[in-house]
Amino acid sequence: MILEKQPNKLLRFTASGLLAALCLLMAGKVYAFVNEAISIALEAATPYVEQGFEVREDNWSGEVEPGKPLLVRHQLFRGNEYWFWAGTSWPGASVKVDVFDSSGNSVGLESFAKNSYAGVRALPQKTATYFIRVIAEYDPEKAAAEARAAGFLPAADGVGEFRGTVDWGLVYGYR
Amino acid sequence: MIRNFLIQSTIRAAVVILAVTISTTGAWAENDVPEQLDLTNFPGEIVDKVVVPIPAEIFAVLDKLGEPEWSNGISIPEEEPKTTERAILALTFGSLIGEGFIAVQAKDEEKIKTIGHRVLNLSESLGLANAVRSHSLGIIEAADRRDWDQVRRELDDTQQTVRETMERLRDEEVSGLVSLGGWLRGTNVVTHFISEAYSEDKAELLNQPGLIVHFREMLASMEGPSKSSSEIRAISTGLARLEGVISGAETFSEEDINELHDISQTMLEEFYFVPVTAEN
Repeated sequence: MILEKQPNKLLRFTASGLLAALCLLMAGKVYAFVNEAISIALEAATPYVEQGFEVREDNWSGEVEPGKPLLVRHQLFRGNEYWFWAGTSWPGASVKVDVFDSSGNSVGLESFAKNSYAGVRALPQKTATYFIRVIAEYDPEKAAAEARAAGFLPAADGVGEFRGTVDWGLVYGYR
Repeated sequence: MIRNFLIQSTIRAAVVILAVTISTTGAWAENDVPEQLDLTNFPGEIVDKVVVPIPAEIFAVLDKLGEPEWSNGISIPEEEPKTTERAILALTFGSLIGEGFIAVQAKDEEKIKTIGHRVLNLSESLGLANAVRSHSLGIIEAADRRDWDQVRRELDDTQQTVRETMERLRDEEVSGLVSLGGWLRGTNVVTHFISEAYSEDKAELLNQPGLIVHFREMLASMEGPSKSSSEIRAISTGLARLEGVISGAETFSEEDINELHDISQTMLEEFYFVPVTAEN
């Protein structure tokens, strides 16, 4: 009886192990997906590193409906100069970023937005909490054009089909 | 007539140049008017995640406002923690990373290397040695090369790796304590240097009420036995005292800075520094 139960137990352990491994793989996949937007934001940051900006490892990321603004709160210190860089990896998506003080005034001194990435520079006039706004947009025609240019059939078998949200990532650097 | 035309042409050219400059570099180029945001009625999503600044961000400003004697700020505890309590180990880990940032400012490679080894030992106690080992070596190697920017990056990377690994292991509570430990050690040393050579500009660096609220909420949402430990309760009380000094204040006096330093010192004595008693 005991001997009969052993294989079941072994099977159960193996199944649990496989399930756990699958979960980890899936978690890794989701994590990698989220990181794609961060990778693009970091790519936008690269030229500024040469100018002496220290880019932080910690960051913000997630998924959002196109057009729905996101607001990130962040502590800035007067005396430092900051750049915030946003990115999205979704085909046909674009992103914009701006910085506001606690009264809601835009304090971005310089900015750029180029399709999948954008950046804004700020020189805080006081040490306080500031608000970084990220807006991601989605253009289905642009997505289709990008897919065709890459040699893919848009949304073939549902893969890459737009499901209402796009990914976004935000990183920052200071000097 | 010609003179008027030349003036008008010059003005027109200046306007065009200005418009092109604004459209390529201005954050508010689209409407030519700086945008105003109604933060009380934001039509979108407020992101919950709080990214805690690393001590190096504040140290960079202090360096611009004067040159503190950073080597006087390094204070590596003589003994490594003996506890197995994860919350305390996470706080200590964060403070040790903070110590690393101080040692980088001091450009003290020997102290940085000691911290690099301590970081690895602590990560072993937390069961995260595999994730941290390469960073620990990176800290030590960069210190050997006196590549201070790289040491800073490795310290930030180490903290981030530990936090992410903990979050993946569903250890979010402990993950937030790493940031708290680093912030607390940074605040402690910053208040020390500001009280040595006080100025309002330096004191303004302590205007961080949002971060204190974040840490207080984080501790309040903790569950399990760690929440009721004497150390965590004492740190909660310390944060409330820090908030009492910082909240609502526009400027901080020398007395405020001394008080903030004393509170942070008491908090660190709960898990990092050896408590100062009448005997020692």
